[in-house]
Amino acid sequence: LSYFCLFHSGAYCKMLLHAAKYPHCAVNGLLVAEKQKEKKKDSHSTPILCVDCIPLFHGTLALAPMLEVALTLIDTWCKENKYVIAGYYQANERTKDFRPNQVAEKVGARIAENFSEAAMIMVDSTRFTMGCYEPILAIYDHHENKWKCRDCNVDSFEDWCEAQKITSALLEGRSYESLIDFDNHLDDLRNDWTNPEINKSVLHLC
Amino acid sequence: TPVQTDWRVNVLIIVFTEMRDKLRKWREDNHRNSEQIVDVGEELINEHASKLGDDIWIIYEQVMIAALDCSRDDLAWTCLQELKRQFPGSQRVKRLAGMRLEALEKYEDASKQYDSILQDDPTNTAARKRKISILKAQGKSAEAIRELNEYLEQFVGDQEAWHELSELYINEHDYGKAAFCLEELMMTNPHNHLYCEQYAEVKYTQGGLENLELSRKYFAQALKLNNRNMRALFGLYMSASHIAASPKVNATVKKANVKYATWATNQINRAYQVSYARCLL
Repeated sequence: LSYFCLFHSGAYCKMLLHAAKYPHCAVNGLLVAEKQKEKKKDSHSTPILCVDCIPLFHGTLALAPMLEVALTLIDTWCKENKYVIAGYYQANERTKDFRPNQVAEKVGARIAENFSEAAMIMVDSTRFTMGCYEPILAIYDHHENKWKCRDCNVDSFEDWCEAQKITSALLEGRSYESLIDFDNHLDDLRNDWTNPEINKSVLHLC
Repeated sequence: TPVQTDWRVNVLIIVFTEMRDKLRKWREDNHRNSEQIVDVGEELINEHASKLGDDIWIIYEQVMIAALDCSRDDLAWTCLQELKRQFPGSQRVKRLAGMRLEALEKYEDASKQYDSILQDDPTNTAARKRKISILKAQGKSAEAIRELNEYLEQFVGDQEAWHELSELYINEHDYGKAAFCLEELMMTNPHNHLYCEQYAEVKYTQGGLENLELSRKYFAQALKLNNRNMRALFGLYMSASHIAASPKVNATVKKANVKYATWATNQINRAYQVSYARCLL
């Protein structure tokens, strides 16, 4: 495959915290990467570093208006911070169901329109443990209008040991109780979907 | 000294009262913060059972359901035994036993449990709804939808059921039928801004100019009912903007929608400014 993405510890841990906060709901969100300064000829060998994760919604994911609002606001925020929306993640409502559905494919395709190397990520809740012994993601790439699954292992991480240590610590400490997603933001605008407090905790544990 | 002891006892009473009141609030709001309910409820049951009086039974029920959510079968079992002992033969307790079987994924046994309730009382709505939940848990969406429709033919006033059905339809991308369910809810709850706003979201998702205009009207209605509903405000902005940008509308309609969108933008900016100010306080 000509491109691959690497997960920063903070991005991975926020995805799992989001799923942990709403174990009885489907959840979804976006992954952002740093904008590449220039497209080199051999840019296919440069991995896309997913540096942050923006949790979006929990519960009903199949409605359009708030998703459009979120994509617009987050796109603006990305431009201000020299980021680009590089991926989409989803954890389904039923634990045993980790296949991408219509929502995942549609949003993934929408992101791929603006970022050709976009990844669609499904969380496998059956392997979700407090100890985070293994990565529990399935990564899908967009190829000829189809989504093809690629293996996610420890090489998909900037530093898997660090990601595991941080995620496990924050899960044990119940940091997911204070995780903010876009739904929480719409409930009360003071709720900050960039999650500065959790970012601080991640840095502290690095 | 005696004074010190009194002070400590007072603190314990305050702590106990706070815990009991928290549980009551979470019950009334139907909050699904199961971990917190287990934390508070388990301590209340273990340390303060004698002070709870008759409240203890409803607390056992609340804690049991939360315990199931947290895979605390030990705690759920304890609560269930207490309830069985106090209310032998109760249908309500039987339903709780069924929920425990569901949590253990013993769906056939759970279903039999609910069937036995329904044999004694065919109008037991709780048991019927649990059977539908089993279908949902098994991923049998089409069957769950069918059963829920049949249920609603009989129990046409069950709002929780109409709302559940609207969500099932939305997940199947059947927005027309989801809209119908929300229309039922709006008819019986004309002052509920949430139903209005959700209906508007469904119409928007359905797409097409007519549905967009309808969605804008219902976002506006939701705002009238609750001017702090941010989803309604954003929705008004999005729908009005899309209508204004549509090649199918005439200049008058376009102008009107530009006005609505501009108004919404100003309100959104104002709302953010107010929230930033509140943050600083």
